[in-house]
Amino acid sequence: MDLFKNIGEIISKYYIWLLEGVGYTLLVSLISTIIGLIIGILIGIYRTLPAPKNKFLRVLKKIGDVILSVYIEVFRGTPMMVQAMVIFWGFALLNDGKTLNVIFSGMLIVSINTGAYMAEIVRGGIISVDKGQTEGAAAIGMTHFQTMMRVVLPQALRNIMPSVANEFVINIKDTSVLNVIGFTELFFQAKSIVSSNLLTFETYLLVAAIYFVLTFTITRILRLIEKKMDGDKNYVVLGSQNMDANAYAREKNIGGGKQNG
Amino acid sequence: MDKNTIIEVRHLQKFFGTNKVLNDINFSVNRGDVTCIIGSSGSGKSTLLRCINLFEQPTAGEIFVHGINIVNTKKPNEYRKKVGMVFQSFNLFNNMNVLKNCTIGPRTVLKVSKQEAEARAKKYLAMVGMAEYVNARPAQLSGGQKQRVAIARALAMEPEVLLFDEPTSALDPEMVGEVLSVMTSLAQKGLTMVVVTHEMGFARDIATKVVFMDAGIIEEEGTPQQIFTNPQKQRTREFLSRVL
Ligand SMILES: Nc1ncnc2c1ncn2[C@@H]1O[C@H](COP(=O)(O)OP(=O)(O)OP(=O)(O)O)[C@@H](O)[C@H]1O
Ligand SMILES: [Mg+2]
Repeated sequence: MDLFKNIGEIISKYYIWLLEGVGYTLLVSLISTIIGLIIGILIGIYRTLPAPKNKFLRVLKKIGDVILSVYIEVFRGTPMMVQAMVIFWGFALLNDGKTLNVIFSGMLIVSINTGAYMAEIVRGGIISVDKGQTEGAAAIGMTHFQTMMRVVLPQALRNIMPSVANEFVINIKDTSVLNVIGFTELFFQAKSIVSSNLLTFETYLLVAAIYFVLTFTITRILRLIEKKMDGDKNYVVLGSQNMDANAYAREKNIGGGKQNG
Repeated sequence: MDKNTIIEVRHLQKFFGTNKVLNDINFSVNRGDVTCIIGSSGSGKSTLLRCINLFEQPTAGEIFVHGINIVNTKKPNEYRKKVGMVFQSFNLFNNMNVLKNCTIGPRTVLKVSKQEAEARAKKYLAMVGMAEYVNARPAQLSGGQKQRVAIARALAMEPEVLLFDEPTSALDPEMVGEVLSVMTSLAQKGLTMVVVTHEMGFARDIATKVVFMDAGIIEEEGTPQQIFTNPQKQRTREFLSRVL
């Protein structure tokens, strides 16, 4: 059949282009997801800071909150393709037509965009951690910062892992919009291939298959990682016999049994 | 002031909005005291405990700790190193195993070495009969086991006073005994404790002092003997006749 023959030919002729596209797509989506997550975590920490006692600092914090909301709303409320054009050409305008490095621009745009979504995801994750966890930490004298780093964020991050994985998969697909600034990710490569071989359908069918394989495998891998993070289902009880407090109390003769009156 | 006095609460008031929850509370905690706070639901027992460790900011009044008023301290976490708390809902850290739950405080707050923290954790876990469970995660334990770990976590900080807010109220009846027997052994070892409880048997047998709260005030206080066998106030008698 012609279809398979043609696809086979595209692969054998353009595999270097395709591999380069896959490489850039994975690179920009992986790095941007990580940077976006870091942005989200920092914003999450900032937003859950206890209100400062000092009046001036309190106003400053409020201003920061407003700036962050504007950032989040604007980047969630406009298409990433438009953001890419505005940032890329905006930079050129401000620098006498000198454009920013395309690879750097691509990462910058996707990171900032992802950060806006991650901020909300992290916020949800932090809120989902039971307030008792914070009180438990406060009760042993931990500071707000220690509580965040040791108790709240680890649990929040575990809880939001599925959403973070989801953002990563979305980024793999959505980095295709970076073709508008000439970023040589997979979709851009497909366009280039089509312009030289004119096999539009076959080329995009092949590229669709590649995108699917990427997102499918990555979803599975991330699920495995999640499972690993949860640790063993069972634990080992040390020592041969299993003592409860009553048995312990009897053994040590320290008063015991039920105290109900 | 008595040099055995650790905490002295004077004229403590607490409002939530316009709702007066604590009114002119005066009481003190001496070294070795086991104070049981009893009273009906909504009388302000939890609020009093939460004011004592500054989870709630008192509206008025003073809390002296070794003679120093800590109500407006800038570093409540410094003070909480010495005043531990055990909660009705355990509040163990879900992301850590039993050992880590007990070492994290000494490690991050008291800055003791890893070996020292682990030695302490194991010592106190053994004291509550949970030494064998160091590798378990909170989600894998029964309620009674969780509460015993929570007590070990608080003890690992080696506090001067340990506050308990209804430590057995969230437990199935068959697990209440194991937690109370741990608390009994702590009391007998001389730990200073303030216990909000509905377990009248524990208050009667173990407390050195019983405080009866009603509608935001301390209605009556005395030895268990005085409160349980010879209450002076009408409200105390009514309460006891309902719960005993
Ligand atoms: N954060 C809060 N905001 C507003 N009101 C509160 C708050 N916490 C407690 N209250 C009110 O303060 C009063 C005393 O509550 P508290 O929890 O101290 O009672 P309690 O004696 O511990 O009762 P229980 O035996 O049911 O635990 C109640 O009327 C309660 O509704
Ligand atoms: Mg209560």
